[in-house]
Amino acid sequence: MTETIDQHQEGKRDVTFRVFRFNPQVDSKPYFDDYTISAERGITVLRSLNYIKEHVDATLSFRAFCQAGICGSCGMRVNGISKLACTSQVWEELDKCREPGIIKVEPLRSLPMIKDLIVDMDPLVDKMKHYSNWIDSTMPLAEMGKKEFLVSEEEFHRYDKATDCILCASCVSECSILRANKEYVSPAVLLKSYRMNVDSRDSIHDVRLAELVKDHGVWDCTHCYRCQESCVKSIPIMEAIHAIREDALECRGPKDTSGAKHAEAFMEDIEKKGKLVEATLPIRTNGMVWTLRNLLPMAVKMIVKRRTPPPPPLVKSAKGIKIFRVMFREMTEHVKQDHQKTHKK
Amino acid sequence: MKRYAYYMSCINESMTKELDRSIDFWQKDLGLEFVKLHEGTCCGGSNLDYVSPKHFALVNARNIALAEKMGLDLIVSCNTCLMTIRTAKKKLDETPALKKEVNDILKKEGLEYRGTSEVRHLLWVLVDDVGLDAIKAKVTVPLKNYRIAPFYGCHILRPSTVLGRDNPLAPSSLDQLIEALGGQTIPYEHKNRCCGFHTLLVAEEESLNVAAEALEEAISAKADFIVTPCPLCHTVLDGYQSKALKQAHIESSIPVFHISEMVGLALGYTAKQLGIKRHIVV
Repeated sequence: MTETIDQHQEGKRDVTFRVFRFNPQVDSKPYFDDYTISAERGITVLRSLNYIKEHVDATLSFRAFCQAGICGSCGMRVNGISKLACTSQVWEELDKCREPGIIKVEPLRSLPMIKDLIVDMDPLVDKMKHYSNWIDSTMPLAEMGKKEFLVSEEEFHRYDKATDCILCASCVSECSILRANKEYVSPAVLLKSYRMNVDSRDSIHDVRLAELVKDHGVWDCTHCYRCQESCVKSIPIMEAIHAIREDALECRGPKDTSGAKHAEAFMEDIEKKGKLVEATLPIRTNGMVWTLRNLLPMAVKMIVKRRTPPPPPLVKSAKGIKIFRVMFREMTEHVKQDHQKTHKK
Repeated sequence: MKRYAYYMSCINESMTKELDRSIDFWQKDLGLEFVKLHEGTCCGGSNLDYVSPKHFALVNARNIALAEKMGLDLIVSCNTCLMTIRTAKKKLDETPALKKEVNDILKKEGLEYRGTSEVRHLLWVLVDDVGLDAIKAKVTVPLKNYRIAPFYGCHILRPSTVLGRDNPLAPSSLDQLIEALGGQTIPYEHKNRCCGFHTLLVAEEESLNVAAEALEEAISAKADFIVTPCPLCHTVLDGYQSKALKQAHIESSIPVFHISEMVGLALGYTAKQLGIKRHIVV
């Protein structure tokens, strides 16, 4: 009998939720409130917040709906990481606390605050609109409802994973570049653009792509993979971002943005020397004027410290470069053949 | 003596030469022998994979095949090279048709990618192969008076499906190395954040904002220096430091070390020998 009671008690613990509070109508600055409740094993962060709202403090505000990881409403930062409150287990979070027994709950980052754990999603919606993230059908209006669109399995697999996105904005909150500049397109928007751009039923691929390669667009991503790592649906977001870049290079060439020129330079250098020619990379990416204006003071410091990259003629090619080049070019032929096959299709 | 094939990252042959040079001082002390792969080529720097996925697979299959030919694991000391080569390896191992296509070409050089060599970071070799106790035993100048901010960088942690050594949310290998060398790690929120390197030439202002945040936290926490396992992070945090801090209106500075230099210092080599004076911030 005693054993049963002990086991029962082991299944319950006092847990403190340190919750971010801010009501712009009343508060001059944000603060944290501590709520200590008895939490059973298996309870989620969202259920705990619901309990607090019902029994302890009715003024605590947060968004939630489905409680099952489907609607994406309860995105928030739990112990510093953006995730869904409804799929976060309290007992698992206890292992990740900086201060033992205290789970920190904060609103998502990089979106304007409304109240407590609620952020304004409008900037994200505005970006979705800005990048035309919907299907503009290739089917003439007169044929709508009379004909069906056939989507191949191969095509479906291209965007299957991307359609899992529930717009919870966890990736938006974790994005390094968005944190540095609120104008940046943001990962969720890029994922959606990718999904629309690979859909054969859509007619505005080129318009969307032209917008994506502009400033604050796809080339500003810094490959930190935080979006992908925080995705509550495990969507490989970086693959989508890379795929937009690949598509941009194929459809628009490397000439129209510095990001594209930068990426192309890697291909050129590897073929030529097997090594990156770093000294001229800024010039090839942004031109001479930009390089002199932006990097000259630093270049002087680097010369003094003898850490400037060597000029192109002094960059030693990788050993065995001749045979490497032959193989590299053979692969170029393979790629050309692949393209021909795809275009025939 | 544990032998490894050592991948020579482009940046370590140009801007951060001190990284590889400092390894040469202590590799024997720790029972390690790194055989430099002079035939290795640029991994594509997290760019070639979308410029041309097939060339990306070819060059990295070759980089790994060179190590396989020697029967050795491939050791990398740049986070981005590590992530890039491991990404290619994963793709090759999961896509038999691609592996075959690449191997048909590699035959020309008498090479074959089999997937038998592991691709690992220098930091992992130190912590997992040499071991913390063995490192501790070799320390002659413990870093006991130093408060050190461990900056892991992105591509040694993420994507975790490709890297998988450390918990990307709470990495510990670098902290353990610092402690084995007698140093004190400081709690550092930015330890698993980004340095901004990959957009320095494309979105400089954003990159410098990202770098400034990481620098600012280490400065406010009164760290004596930052240490990073990645020469790209080092280039931003050291080389671009004054520009980043100026943009963020912060008047201060903090030295940034490579792990190879930190190990060298604790093993009794001098800052001059290790090339620390070549840093922009000293």
